[in-house]
Amino acid sequence: MRTKLLAILALLGILLAACGPAATATPQVVQQQVIQTQIVEVTPTPGPNPESVIQNVEPNATITFWTYYLSPTFDDYIKSTIARFQATYPGVTVNWEDHQATFQQDLNNAFAAGNAPDVINLSVGEGWVSDYATQGLLLSLDDKVPQSVQALYFPGLWKEQLVKGVNYQFPWYQSIPVELINTQIYTGTPQTDASGNVTYTGGAGLKVSDFPKTIDGLPALCQTIKQKTGTLCDIRLSVNDLLSQMVYEGNVKVISDDGTKFTFNSPDAVSWLQMYVDMVKAGTVDKTVLVSDQDRVGLDLFETGKAAFYQTAPNLIRDVRANNPGLYGYLGVAPLPLGKSGVVAKGSMGISVNAKTKYPNASIALAQFFTNPTSMLEFAKIVSIYPSTPSSYDDPFFSAKPVAIEDSAKPLAKGIVATYADIVPTIPHTTDVNTIVLNAIQQALFNEEKSYSNPLSLFGSRLTCDWSFCFVSDCGGGVLQLHGLQHCDSSGLDWVKKLSAIDS
Amino acid sequence: MTPPVWIGLRNYQQLIHDTVFWQALAHSFIYLLVTPILIILCIILAIAVNRKLPGINAFRALYYIPVISGSIAVGISWKLMLDTNGLLNGLLIWLGVIQNPIQWLAEPSYTLPIAMLLTTWMGLGYYMMIFLAGLQNISDDLYDAAVIDGCNAWQKHWYVSVPGLRPQITFVAVISSLAALEVFNEIYILTGGLGGILNSGVTMVFYLWQQAFKYHHAGMASAIAIVLLVITLAFSVMNIRLLEQGTESES
Repeated sequence: MRTKLLAILALLGILLAACGPAATATPQVVQQQVIQTQIVEVTPTPGPNPESVIQNVEPNATITFWTYYLSPTFDDYIKSTIARFQATYPGVTVNWEDHQATFQQDLNNAFAAGNAPDVINLSVGEGWVSDYATQGLLLSLDDKVPQSVQALYFPGLWKEQLVKGVNYQFPWYQSIPVELINTQIYTGTPQTDASGNVTYTGGAGLKVSDFPKTIDGLPALCQTIKQKTGTLCDIRLSVNDLLSQMVYEGNVKVISDDGTKFTFNSPDAVSWLQMYVDMVKAGTVDKTVLVSDQDRVGLDLFETGKAAFYQTAPNLIRDVRANNPGLYGYLGVAPLPLGKSGVVAKGSMGISVNAKTKYPNASIALAQFFTNPTSMLEFAKIVSIYPSTPSSYDDPFFSAKPVAIEDSAKPLAKGIVATYADIVPTIPHTTDVNTIVLNAIQQALFNEEKSYSNPLSLFGSRLTCDWSFCFVSDCGGGVLQLHGLQHCDSSGLDWVKKLSAIDS
Repeated sequence: MTPPVWIGLRNYQQLIHDTVFWQALAHSFIYLLVTPILIILCIILAIAVNRKLPGINAFRALYYIPVISGSIAVGISWKLMLDTNGLLNGLLIWLGVIQNPIQWLAEPSYTLPIAMLLTTWMGLGYYMMIFLAGLQNISDDLYDAAVIDGCNAWQKHWYVSVPGLRPQITFVAVISSLAALEVFNEIYILTGGLGGILNSGVTMVFYLWQQAFKYHHAGMASAIAIVLLVITLAFSVMNIRLLEQGTESES
């Protein structure tokens, strides 16, 4: 019965197939031919490659691409991506160079000499994009990149480093900061008794899953760890960019909307600082690490097994495994506690185009190609970085259950990267301002002598005076402004008074 | 770096108002205390090793090792010893002197003394050799005469060795005081390039480096360099005068 049915169906199929061409009327065939000619006319050069999204790429363009610290580890990846790019946009030649410790110096020299690369890998986290964009050295992208292409990226990342409301970078690879936990100290060594109950000895007896969700929980945590294990907390202030930290952790408004006056002499800033002052006074934090300007100092302390937790990126877990394999087995990972702003961090890397490039479209095409969903996914598969393009996360690679602890952030990565945003406004003369703020903060943290409250006010007033002076009369870019007090604005001294109050 | 703009003496004016600069200047002068300490210790050490005992050459060589070790390597080893979980804290806790480890390098009042100790330790061997050479030039007859005159061991050195070492003392004073004024490596390593909490370890050369290479304030750094030049020049002239006086009185 079944065989018969199949035979009838097959026969019917053959008949229908045979009827097909005969049933099609002759005019329809003519119409089909017309469509074919149209297709040839619409796509003159590249062919229907889904990765080819930038139009009017200059034929025979030769462009230079600089990356930061990627060679030799990622040579294969970069070279194969360039090869794929050249196949996608035939006629374009890419010369790739990787610059490392002297990257910024080389780039500054190249811009000064007029031979800067066409496409440049710039750090968003370090503020390079805004630096160069402010100087008019980068190409604005909003008007040159089609809306459909902009939509490929997380909106927060596309808009995270705007200069006067305009974007100058394609967001590239991102990292996810985590709290790395040494469970030997944080929890303890598990011991099972006769009845099968697990108890922990030698540690603080805390659960990794209970790690504080907000930074307000840190002082109590450090107190517990110190009491139970005698270990100090391995926490570091962002010594190189304290205003940023104030914004992310304390939700402090640091500069007025028109960018002419510092406004961090506020109760928000004082309460942010108070948390650290209290921890120093309670003796629960490692003071050397707290004010070190190098991440390495805190990481070393953690790697040598002398700290319960440390904030770092998952790609540095490789470092722990290489330097202290014994500790690797006791590692735990917790999400970073959030500050009052509710934003974890800003993104890390971007790719920008030189404003003076001879081949703007070819350059934009290359920058876009390296940051497109396919290239990003390929990159993520070889190292623990996270794509800036939401669709890359649809790949099973991201939903697969993590095996190594380095990959534990993988299933959560999309949600975390989606929240990234740069919420720190542009700060003029960042380094100088930061130095003065650092001095004031150190006074508040460490100076117990009353007699020192005067230098403290000096630092504070210096800040307000110098910069308010500079805002009204331009001091010129290269000249360090006078630290004299003749231009004082006494209203700005609130910040100082509050610091003094903390101090006393 | 931006193109230079003529601002006259404003960098100096700024320097005068800069509290960190005055701190750095004060620290550099405090650092000069290393010189007398080195002279006294090295003379004692030179006298101690200036004997014909079996194995004394090995001792002399041991004292010289810090001199030929790189100052960066020495700084790092000291940093490890003074670490919160380092040798010194371990020892003190074991001896029962302290209960909780001390963060030696995070205490502002300890930064400079620790750096000075490091400089002294490193210079000991070199200056000891100079004094040793000086001691071996002093004729034995003088010591014999002193003994005949009724000098005890201590007086023998006070009245014979020390005056005999005068040219060496002047030389060591010149060299070590100049070295103290330009100290940098020790501070850089011990404070991790930060200059210590509350600028407690910032000296003139360190501040110069900070301004020039950390903050890119070339003008400020040049002004500090000029001030440092004036101070070292004054010191050298003063020291050379002393040296000349010494040779004159000797002749």
